[in-house]
Amino acid sequence: MRMRKLAAVLAALTMALAACGSDTKSSTATNAATTTAGQAATTSAAAPADTTATTPAATTVPPPITGGTGTSGEIRLWLNGGDTPDAFVKFAITEFNKTHPDVRVTFERQQWTGIVEKLTTSLSSSDSPDVIELGNTQAQAFEAAGALQDLTATKAALGGDDLLQSLVEAGTYNGKFYGVPYYAGARVMLYRKDMFTASGLSVPTTIDEMLAAGKKLKADNASTTNFSGMYLPGKNWFAALPFLWVNGGDIAVQDSGKWKGMLSSDKSVTGLTQFQQFIEQTSGAPKDGDDSKDYIAFCKGEVGMMPAPGWKPGQIINKDDGCPDMESKIGAFAMPGLTAGTTSPAFLGGSNLAISAKSKHADLATDLLKILVSKDYQKQFADQGTIPALKSLLGDVTGSDAATAQAKAAENSRFVPSSENWAAVEASNVLPDMIVAISGGADVKSEAAKADAAIEATLNG
Amino acid sequence: MEHANGITPRRRRVRPLPYVLLLPAVAALVLMLGYPIVRLFTLALQNFGLKQQFGAAANWVGLKNFRTIVHDPEFWAVLRRTLAFCAVNVVLTIALGMAIALLLKRLGSKMRLLTMLGLMLAWSMPALTSTVIWQWIFDTQYGIANWALGRQGQSWLSNPLTFYFVATIIVVWMGIPFVAFTLYAGLTQIPEETMEAAAIDGANPWQRFRDIVVPALKPILLILTSLSVLWDFRVFTQVYVLQRAGGITRDTNLLGVYAYRISIGANHFDRGAAVAIVMVVITVLMTMFYLRSMTRQEEL
Repeated sequence: MRMRKLAAVLAALTMALAACGSDTKSSTATNAATTTAGQAATTSAAAPADTTATTPAATTVPPPITGGTGTSGEIRLWLNGGDTPDAFVKFAITEFNKTHPDVRVTFERQQWTGIVEKLTTSLSSSDSPDVIELGNTQAQAFEAAGALQDLTATKAALGGDDLLQSLVEAGTYNGKFYGVPYYAGARVMLYRKDMFTASGLSVPTTIDEMLAAGKKLKADNASTTNFSGMYLPGKNWFAALPFLWVNGGDIAVQDSGKWKGMLSSDKSVTGLTQFQQFIEQTSGAPKDGDDSKDYIAFCKGEVGMMPAPGWKPGQIINKDDGCPDMESKIGAFAMPGLTAGTTSPAFLGGSNLAISAKSKHADLATDLLKILVSKDYQKQFADQGTIPALKSLLGDVTGSDAATAQAKAAENSRFVPSSENWAAVEASNVLPDMIVAISGGADVKSEAAKADAAIEATLNG
Repeated sequence: MEHANGITPRRRRVRPLPYVLLLPAVAALVLMLGYPIVRLFTLALQNFGLKQQFGAAANWVGLKNFRTIVHDPEFWAVLRRTLAFCAVNVVLTIALGMAIALLLKRLGSKMRLLTMLGLMLAWSMPALTSTVIWQWIFDTQYGIANWALGRQGQSWLSNPLTFYFVATIIVVWMGIPFVAFTLYAGLTQIPEETMEAAAIDGANPWQRFRDIVVPALKPILLILTSLSVLWDFRVFTQVYVLQRAGGITRDTNLLGVYAYRISIGANHFDRGAAVAIVMVVITVLMTMFYLRSMTRQEEL
């Protein structure tokens, strides 16, 4: 009798507690994606299409930047990662409020990680942001889905023929213009000048020389824990692309309307095997880690060479969690090719801006877009070493070794397969999975074949 | 306690007011639970991708989505993995929770308070926060686990087995406090006299545990087990965060994350909904067994 009563009471209690318990569990579960993806990044910056990062810095949410009184409307601007500094945004909002003082602009910084998922849900909701930034590898999916407004009619006013051609292509679907080029960046090889000097090395002119340099650096710095001659964490699949391309391989090619995976082709396998050599013989980075902590490793003196976007030196020398005194020691070169005097094709990253199809103030949003691609605004990118969206400003890209190396790398640059389903390939992690497996010593050919099958299935819908 | 079960002789009149007062709550429940369930089922029977999400018309395709997932070997691999993960985690949670409950019973009041405080802290921590902290503990290069074990560079997440080892630690660690508290509450209700009598009759501690404690706690154990099954079967946060930190996504997906990746990641909202429905059905089947045996227990 007593036990039965107790059981009943406990059962009720348990259910009540279970309700709380399960509630927390499920809500954090669903939030896991959105919170980590949605929280603003302060100093952690991922390159346009980098898909992995869980940095501690991402947990601090700065107050949003706003401007205008808001009496006749509000528009929301989403920009991603740390590629656009706050000062740029303040400049744009001030400019916008000169002509629209009564419109409030709210700026919300998003993280690159998980941005595709976040845009999928927010662009289709009634609470959609007005102006958004898309990685150039992701834009096609949203253009094809009808998530963005057709800007063909205003293209001329948004920069027209002065816009970077490869990004215009990413922003165009079925002959219509949806995504306005925002900025671009080619990947370069950063290196420690002082370590090169200490080891008696000069900038390598071929991939073989680069491998030898990496091995020498690793041997000469063996006393440093986790030292990398070349820092190659397993999830950084972007780093593998130049090796693939320089050997004549590719990710996938389109053949009479059907995509065919090319990673397991002989040429690609040669490239991936070469990449595996670099990992095994020179890298001390975590074999399943991503590149979100690369600047920390660089600051700790654990890195001799490191493939990175052109703006990476800025992150390395940032005052908050970087190492400003490293500035004079950072050098950069465009990754060499198989023979001296050539370069390997570099991955061209970049961003497009677009207006949500659900935006209630498309006219205001267009005015804001015009400012974001204006010469005055884009000049700021050129000054910080990022490739601006306007061809007429390319000559203004100034500054460090990294900027010069980037300009050289951009001359010979390539891109991922141009398909509306490419964003889904990135979201499925198939490429990081493959590189992590290869980093762990798995057979290149069979891992590449597995990845090919998955990529074909996704690209062909 | 007997009086609570006594029969109340007062006659009951049917009064409408309580039902009227219940209406808002019922309406809210129907809206909050009913709509998503209906939506889930319609999604699973439609062709629904990114284009449909942005307004294109969706076609009805019958059971096509279910056929697709049933014929996908990856789905079965994920299902097997999920069931195994769930079984291991539930057994560990209940066993360790019981052990801690027994310990709490034997501890002095100060140590008991301290232990309960510790359990409370583990319990109150959000899943995302604790997963990130555990992930740092097992970080390949800067983690304290590798430092303590002297295994610099050991990558815990890159091998699926050690990946699940870490995930299991997190899930069980978070699951134990609730189980331990509930079982401890149950233990305090077992009459001391019964235990003493058994001891005098010569029952050793194991026999007393098996023949008195376990039967007495059976209803509680059943409900705890079914709840743990529910939670551990649809675990998401821990796996999702660990996959981000390291590891091979393809080899470490569990059903919850798998459904998420199909729908939100690959934009096959229709197929993702089908996976979610299969998950619901399996969960109901698994817990039904426990809930039925529990109601039977109460009827005795």
